[in-house]
Amino acid sequence: MFRLGLDLGSSYTKGVLVDDNNRMTAFHCVKSGYNFNNAATKIITHFTENYEIGYPIYTCGYGREQVDVSFVSNSELIALSKAVYEIHKRSCSIIDIGGQDTKFIQVNALGQVEKFKMNRKCAAGTGSFLEEIAFRLDVTPEEFTEFAKEATREVKINSFCTVFAISEIIGMIKNGATLPNIVLGIYNSIILRSVELSLIEDHLVITGGLPAMHPTIVSLFKEKYPDTDSPEHSQFLAAYGCVLLNSEKTRTEAITT
Amino acid sequence: MSEKGIQDQGELVKLRSANDLRKTMDGYFARLKEAAETRSRKIAWCTSVGPAELLYSMGFEVYFPENHGAMLGAGKNADKYIPTAVAHGYSPDICSYLTSDIGAFLQNETPLQKSGFRSVPRPDILVYNTNQCREVEDWFSFYARHFNVPIVGIHTPLCISDLSPEIVKSVSDQYHRIIPELEKVAERMFDIDSFRETVGLSHDGCVLWKQVLEKARHIPSPINFFDSAIHMGPIVVMRGTSHAVEYYKILLAELEERIQNNISAVPVEHFRIYWEGMPLWYRLSSLAKLFAKLNTCIVASTYCNSWVFDDLSQAEPFESSALAYCKLFIVRSDAIKENVLEQLVKDFTVQGIIYHESKTCARNSNNRFGLQNRLFKRTGIPYLEINGDLNDPRCYSEEQSIIAIETFIDQLSGHLNNSTL
Repeated sequence: MFRLGLDLGSSYTKGVLVDDNNRMTAFHCVKSGYNFNNAATKIITHFTENYEIGYPIYTCGYGREQVDVSFVSNSELIALSKAVYEIHKRSCSIIDIGGQDTKFIQVNALGQVEKFKMNRKCAAGTGSFLEEIAFRLDVTPEEFTEFAKEATREVKINSFCTVFAISEIIGMIKNGATLPNIVLGIYNSIILRSVELSLIEDHLVITGGLPAMHPTIVSLFKEKYPDTDSPEHSQFLAAYGCVLLNSEKTRTEAITT
Repeated sequence: MSEKGIQDQGELVKLRSANDLRKTMDGYFARLKEAAETRSRKIAWCTSVGPAELLYSMGFEVYFPENHGAMLGAGKNADKYIPTAVAHGYSPDICSYLTSDIGAFLQNETPLQKSGFRSVPRPDILVYNTNQCREVEDWFSFYARHFNVPIVGIHTPLCISDLSPEIVKSVSDQYHRIIPELEKVAERMFDIDSFRETVGLSHDGCVLWKQVLEKARHIPSPINFFDSAIHMGPIVVMRGTSHAVEYYKILLAELEERIQNNISAVPVEHFRIYWEGMPLWYRLSSLAKLFAKLNTCIVASTYCNSWVFDDLSQAEPFESSALAYCKLFIVRSDAIKENVLEQLVKDFTVQGIIYHESKTCARNSNNRFGLQNRLFKRTGIPYLEINGDLNDPRCYSEEQSIIAIETFIDQLSGHLNNSTL
């Protein structure tokens, strides 16, 4: 019997199966679309082909309470912190870049959330920002990563707004800037928007869908903050944390009863 | 964490005094309406922390456009009116009370029409105090031009650290200077005894309001921020009258009764939070339910505490008015604000602070110059910043804010659990 953690995010729904030893065993990710329950069903159907799933399932994210099966919902920030602490066992700063949100979380040495901050009501610096720019430039995420490798110097993107950033980029192309240098500028603008959320004075952990699809972002973070890493399956960590939070709760309840 | 199948516990415990509040506010609007229709008494428009006592003492009925702005926000109509004001050249980045109020006026709509008003009551004079912000002068100037009526104001220094006798004298002198214009419009002479009386009533109302707010020091609290934001109506619009005094006696008695019977404002009070910044008027009810569901009581706020003018004194009505309206939180320097907040979080046994950064109200958003970090270093009390606006719902991301608030309460829960191990 496996426990299922689901992170029902604004862009993607991520599912992870966790075994009895609290190890992540299987992963599946689908677009959230307009119906979170459909996204959850797709993931459950996918997993039940090969695994037996226990209920309730453990959810977080925007759609955390919009599933038709028995569930226990959690805060995605607390869940993510739990998962990262489980892996690192130390205090750290987390920057999570998702489809719509960028989050900073400071986890203390006990694994507690010390403070956190989310982006303002603005998509600049999030996955949606990059998706929109990639769409307008007719470039895939994989190509973005390849372009960045060819960059010779960064071109600075000054616009705070996704729409105006595109106008700015079009102007740069007109003035002879190369696409690789522009891509590097786009990545760095995302990093700048992330690090303004808070001072980073601890080991930095990068998580979320954007670094998973654009590993170059993690390398660029490392250039600025050498003490940086991004765990494997970082896109699935909030879902994983949901399961961990509840397995701990179950254990505590078992002891106290 | 929430579990499917478990019934929402966000049931709010309503205050019985709400009926008396409605009667008190109905009485206020009835007097205004009568004055507007019969022209039997002059009408002055006044800013919410302006010289209301002086105006009431001279026989004016007093109308407060900020109260009207809050009504537009609470009625979830502000975003319908703001674009009209913007089209007339008012930036969407300035006070959304101003833009929603002027926008509604330009569309000839007001929630007062439900109470039989044809329009907002026509002013005979507009009176402001810039202690809260400069926008009020621009706001009132719009109406002064439109109605072609006089406008007078008191200009208060900002970011006051040392509230010196010179500052108090300067403001007190300005009170004196606006009197001749008020006399001309009121068609009656200023009377010092009448002013002493309204200052005395204002003092008594403020002291009672302070006592109401301080009942939230009790654990569990019998009143929360969302109640206070509604029940503050009389102290805003009837400060200086016996109506406010009488109402707060009723409310205070109910709160004392609640404490005796151990009735709390939220069904279960596990967490006690301080709210810094403006209310989100268009989400007052849903936020109240959310916090109740999270077993959290917002026990104190800068906003509601801002109408405590207990320095007012009948003995020295001018000087004490100047002192009281310069002592106001919003007029003070960050250093003073930090001290005030530190004391309030201690007095109310607060476990966390929420800063609402209101997009269009810089003066009431105190997390813009690092105060939140400095206060955290001094107190160790965790905080959360949410972005929104007092009236413009387009500046607020609800889902994102709910996640942030739920996480914050989980964060506090984690800390509290550990501290009890």
